[in-house]
Amino acid sequence: MVYKTKHFIIYLMGIIICLMGTLVLMVGIGIVSANAMETEDCLGCHGDSSIIDEGGERLYIKQFVGAHAEEGCEACHSVTDEHPDDGVKPTTETCDTCHDEIPDEYGSSSHSKNAACTDCHNPHAVRNYLAISGFDQNKPCAKCHKQAGHSAWLPRASLHMHAVPCITCHTNTKNYAITFYIAKRKGFNPNKKNAINLATYKDLVQIAGNKKIQSIIDTNGDGTISLAELKSFNSNPKYKDVWLWGMMTATEVSHDYGVFDNRKDCTFCHVAGPKALQASYVAFPEQDGTYNRVAVEKGAPLDMLFATPNFYMVGAGRNNILNFIGLILVAGGVGAALLHGTFRFLTRKNRRKH
Amino acid sequence: MEKPKMIYLNPLPVRIWHWLHALGIVTLCLTGAQIRFPEYVTMFGSYKSAITIHNYTGVIVCLDYLIWFAYYIFISGSLKKLYIPTVDDLTKGVIRQMKFYGYNYFRGLPNPHHSTPDNKFNPMQKGAYLMIMTVLVPIILITGLMLLLFAQKWMMALGGIKIVFAIHFIVACFFASFVLVHFYLATLGHTFWAHFITMITGWEEEVEEH
Repeated sequence: MVYKTKHFIIYLMGIIICLMGTLVLMVGIGIVSANAMETEDCLGCHGDSSIIDEGGERLYIKQFVGAHAEEGCEACHSVTDEHPDDGVKPTTETCDTCHDEIPDEYGSSSHSKNAACTDCHNPHAVRNYLAISGFDQNKPCAKCHKQAGHSAWLPRASLHMHAVPCITCHTNTKNYAITFYIAKRKGFNPNKKNAINLATYKDLVQIAGNKKIQSIIDTNGDGTISLAELKSFNSNPKYKDVWLWGMMTATEVSHDYGVFDNRKDCTFCHVAGPKALQASYVAFPEQDGTYNRVAVEKGAPLDMLFATPNFYMVGAGRNNILNFIGLILVAGGVGAALLHGTFRFLTRKNRRKH
Repeated sequence: MEKPKMIYLNPLPVRIWHWLHALGIVTLCLTGAQIRFPEYVTMFGSYKSAITIHNYTGVIVCLDYLIWFAYYIFISGSLKKLYIPTVDDLTKGVIRQMKFYGYNYFRGLPNPHHSTPDNKFNPMQKGAYLMIMTVLVPIILITGLMLLLFAQKWMMALGGIKIVFAIHFIVACFFASFVLVHFYLATLGHTFWAHFITMITGWEEEVEEH
C-alpha cells in the first residue's frame, strides 16, 4: 500500500512539473509572439511615411534593419496599450544601457562634444562596420566634415581618401587588414572625388549568371580565396569590366576619435613589418547593401605581380622575390668592381712596366 | 718638357647633361632606397621628404634626358655615329674590348680603343649606352611618370600598378649597379682620375702608346 502511494505521489509530481513546464513555455512563446507583434504594430504606423504629416519626420522609421531590429522596438521603447491615444511620450533607452563601455571611451574623446551617438549611428539601421564598405563607413563623417583638408599636408590626398576610410586613421585602432572591393573600371579616376564606383549586388549577379556572386573569385566555393583564384579572376577576360580596389581597413575600431600625430608620419602605414599586409579580404556586396567579407590567403597583397596587380602600398607592399632580384643586380655590380679591382691591385706591376 | 697632346672630347652641353644626370640618378637611387626600405634607410629624414625629393629629381632627370636627346639628334647629330655599334664593333670589337678588360689590362697591355670626338665610346660602351639611353632610361622615366601622375589607365594597360612598380624597381636596381660599375670603370684611364678630369674639363690627354 505504502509502495503504491509513493508511486502515485511521484506520478503526480511528474504531471505537475510537466504542466508547469508547458505553462512556462506557453508564456514564453506568448511573450515572444507578443513582442514580434508589437514591432510589427509599431512599424504599421511608424514605417508608413504618412506619419510625417501627423507628427514630423522623426516619427518615420524608413527601415528597421540590423542588430537592433533583431531586438525589436520594445528593447528601447516602451508604450502603453493605448499608445498613441494616451498622449504619453514613449520612453527611449540610451545607448549605454547595452553598450556600457563605448560611451566612456567616446566621452573621453574631443569628438563627443560635437556629436552624439545618433548623429553618426542610425539606431534603426545599425550595421557592423565590417559589413559596410569603406566608402559607406565615411558617410557619417562626411555629414559634418565636408572639407577634410588633408591636401594641406598629405601627398596624393584624393588617392589616400579613396584607399583609407576615416576611422582607420582617426581612431586609435591597432590592427589593420586590406579589404578588396569589386569596383567598376569605367570612370575610375582616383585624382577626383568619389571616383570609385563599387559594383553592386545586381552588377555582380549579371556577371556571375546563375552562380553565387562569390564564385566569381572563390571558384571552388570553399569560403576562402587563394592566390591562384585571385590570379585567375584578374586574368579572366570575362571580368574585364571590374577590378579589385584595396582599402586599408581597421580590424577593430574604437570610439576614441581624434587626430593622432603618429598618423601623419607616413611610415605609420608605409613600412613593412611582420604583420604588414598579411591579412586581406574580398568584400562581396549583398542584396541589402551590406558586404560579406571572404578571407584571402595570407600575404596576398604582397604577392609579386598578379594576385593583386592594382594594389600597392609603397614601403609596405614590397615583395621579397623582387627585393632579392634587385639585391643580386646591385651585388653583381659591386662584386664585378671588387673582383676586377682585386686583380688590378695584384697586377699593378705589369702596368708600371708599360 | 713637352706638353701632352690634348683632344676636346666632351663639349659643354654633354658635360652639363652628364653631371646633372649622374647627380639625379644617385639621388633617385638613394631616395628610392628610402621609399622602398624606410626601416633601414633614413638619410633624407622623413618618408615624405624622400618622396618629394624623388619626385622632383625624377622630373629634372626627365628634362635632362630630353636635353641629351635633343642635343644628339638636333644639334650635334652624332647619336648614330657615337652610339650605334658597327658590324665590326659587334663581331670583333666587343670581344676585343672584353678581352682587354678581363685579361690584357692585367697584363699591362694598352686599351685597344682610343677615344676621338667621332668615336668616343669603345664597342662595349656603345652597346651598353645605346641600350641604357634608348631602352632602360625611357622605361624607368615613363614608369616613374606613370606613378607620379597616377596614370591609372596606362598602368592598367601594362597589367596594374604593381607591375609598373616592379619594372621601375628592377630597372632602378640595374641603374644602381650601373652607377657603381661606371664609377669603377672610369678609374681605368691612364691615371686614376683621368676620365673624371675629362668629364669636367672636356679635354682628354692623348696617351702615346709605346
